[in-house]
Amino acid sequence: MSRIDAKVVLLGKNYVGKTCLVNRYIHQRFMPYQITIGAAFGSMKEMVDGKPLVLGIWDTAGHEAYESITRMYYRGAVACILCYDITDKSSFERARFWAGELTNTEPKCKIYLCGTKKDIVDDDQHKRQVELSMAQPLARDFGTELFETSSKTGENIDSLFKTIARDVVQQRTSDTKKHEERTSRDGFILDDKTRQRGCRLVACSLS
Amino acid sequence: MAAKKPTKLHIEASELLCKNGCGFYGNQLWQGYCSLCYREECQRAKVAQQEQDSKKMMKKQAEDADKASLFSKFAEKKTQHINKRAHTLKSMFKKTPTKESVPEPRAKRQVNKETQQIKADLMDYLKQFKRPTAEDFVKIVQELVDKLYQNADAPVEDLTDLVQDFYIKLGKRMDSHSLYKDLSSEDIDTLLDYAEKYITVKMYTSLFCPATCDDEQKDLQMQTQIRSLHWVTGQQLDTMINEHETEVRTLVDQAITEIIEVNSKKAPQDKLSCIVRCSKHIFEIIRQSKEGPACADDFLPALIYTVLKANPPLLQSNIQFITRFSCPSRLMKGEAGYIFTNLCCAVQFIENITHESLALTQHEFDRYMSGEAIPPQSGNEYMCEGLRLMYDNLKTLAELRQRQEKVMAEALQLQQEMKDFKENFKQEVQNVLIRMPLTIKPRKMKVNLDDDSESLDLLPSPLLPLTVDNVGMDTRNTRVRLFH
Repeated sequence: MSRIDAKVVLLGKNYVGKTCLVNRYIHQRFMPYQITIGAAFGSMKEMVDGKPLVLGIWDTAGHEAYESITRMYYRGAVACILCYDITDKSSFERARFWAGELTNTEPKCKIYLCGTKKDIVDDDQHKRQVELSMAQPLARDFGTELFETSSKTGENIDSLFKTIARDVVQQRTSDTKKHEERTSRDGFILDDKTRQRGCRLVACSLS
Repeated sequence: MAAKKPTKLHIEASELLCKNGCGFYGNQLWQGYCSLCYREECQRAKVAQQEQDSKKMMKKQAEDADKASLFSKFAEKKTQHINKRAHTLKSMFKKTPTKESVPEPRAKRQVNKETQQIKADLMDYLKQFKRPTAEDFVKIVQELVDKLYQNADAPVEDLTDLVQDFYIKLGKRMDSHSLYKDLSSEDIDTLLDYAEKYITVKMYTSLFCPATCDDEQKDLQMQTQIRSLHWVTGQQLDTMINEHETEVRTLVDQAITEIIEVNSKKAPQDKLSCIVRCSKHIFEIIRQSKEGPACADDFLPALIYTVLKANPPLLQSNIQFITRFSCPSRLMKGEAGYIFTNLCCAVQFIENITHESLALTQHEFDRYMSGEAIPPQSGNEYMCEGLRLMYDNLKTLAELRQRQEKVMAEALQLQQEMKDFKENFKQEVQNVLIRMPLTIKPRKMKVNLDDDSESLDLLPSPLLPLTVDNVGMDTRNTRVRLFH
């Protein structure tokens, strides 16, 4: 799959299970100790309304030492899966931090809040540190959807990515509609970049 | 001709530092100066030479080219060097009022092998399409190349805009124009690739690290920074790289080779594929050093470690080049894009490295950075490539020695065995001989009784028959005598 239609970034503290999430989605299996090469990047074809959409999924380094450079990862991403570990409260705090970062730097990127390791909580309710009642307000604040997933059982994983794919396609169609409206009104397109150099654009279109 | 100018391209071991004594390393291509001092020197020389007429300059340039060509190893840098010269030369000419001395922009064009190769490939590829389509494609690409030649001195941002606008325009044209409607999406992708490759390789000298930007300075800063971070170990970066295993070390070496190779490739996609290969090695290292899936949490530190160990030449320039002139669709989304982003992150991390990112105190960090002290655990690590190689070689030598000793011992043993065997054999033969002594029987001779031989003389003469006189009593007498 050489053509990637949409970039999806996984963010979250280290050891929340970002890589397992990707593995589960792409290979349909849970591999806690399975050895894979290049698991940090994956691409997957989703069908939306009978049309293929290839998602490129970027895993990121969640360590705090790399916090300042993580910004480079989500440049140009259409969706971001914000992972936190249901059994680890600090990871949820990190997610909160990233949600703020994302809305500031990449407003176009849609956020999906995702609690991982649900299977552990299902087995033993005492291990739950992040209640749904804590996560839901955050999801509401940032206009995101909340998923609680388990890479072990595969719960909610497919629905998470299907939602992303569907939203991407919807966003695209509404974008093109706006685009067409604008084009029909102005005659030609002015995106932000060309608007800055309006004079040059005219010169170019004449030549 | 060469005698006119002292050959400064030759370098002594002691002259590694910049001749200006600024503390940076010099380079023979910069005539022993570091790049900054060399630039200043060039500026001075430029002013001094302004009176000289253009012919003389051209001659000198050719001379320089001749000299530089001796160093085929630095062919890459050489072209850059010459180009820079041509650059200063050209900007100089602009100031001279006489019109005839302004060289044609076409005169700068260098036909090099790589460009020709790509051109030939492209032409081959275009053969499968209809003639008007191919012609249109070539025309568009050629237009951009001409435009780039005309704007060779423009700021690099303008060049970037030119090229990026071109990609967008070309992509749109191929999507919508009727000439291209028969092409499959793979064909369009390949054509875009070819366009990118052709343009960047052909215009490499003016697009890569142009004089109008500060890439070179950043390269230098980066290089110095990496050099002063030589003490950083894998453990400090939280990598699982176990450098003591030969296999892992080989992979590290391979990754380092690939990342250094980036500078020798010209087209952005070739540079990117080097980076991708490098990261494949890194993933393999992680796979060998750790149980479990290789994730970004392991990959980024390992990549940082590789960059630190490799200290790739002109890293910033290369990254900038790829960012500026490669197709945006490739850079933002695919796997190459992912790995490239990781490399950018690694570079940024190294640039902004602090004591916190290595979990050290400020004091420790400063001391390590200034070279006053080295981290205690670094004794286990191989501090530098040379030392590591030396240890490797020593190990190999020791192994060889052991093997030689073994061979020697075995040879001696074999000799002894052979001796013993000989002795034993002799002994056995003796025994057999004693048991069965050899008696030589005289050979049986055939005796010819009728032969005349001396021994016959010794024999008594044969009996002679009695002659009987009486013939009448012959038969009876004879018989009687016989019976007697």
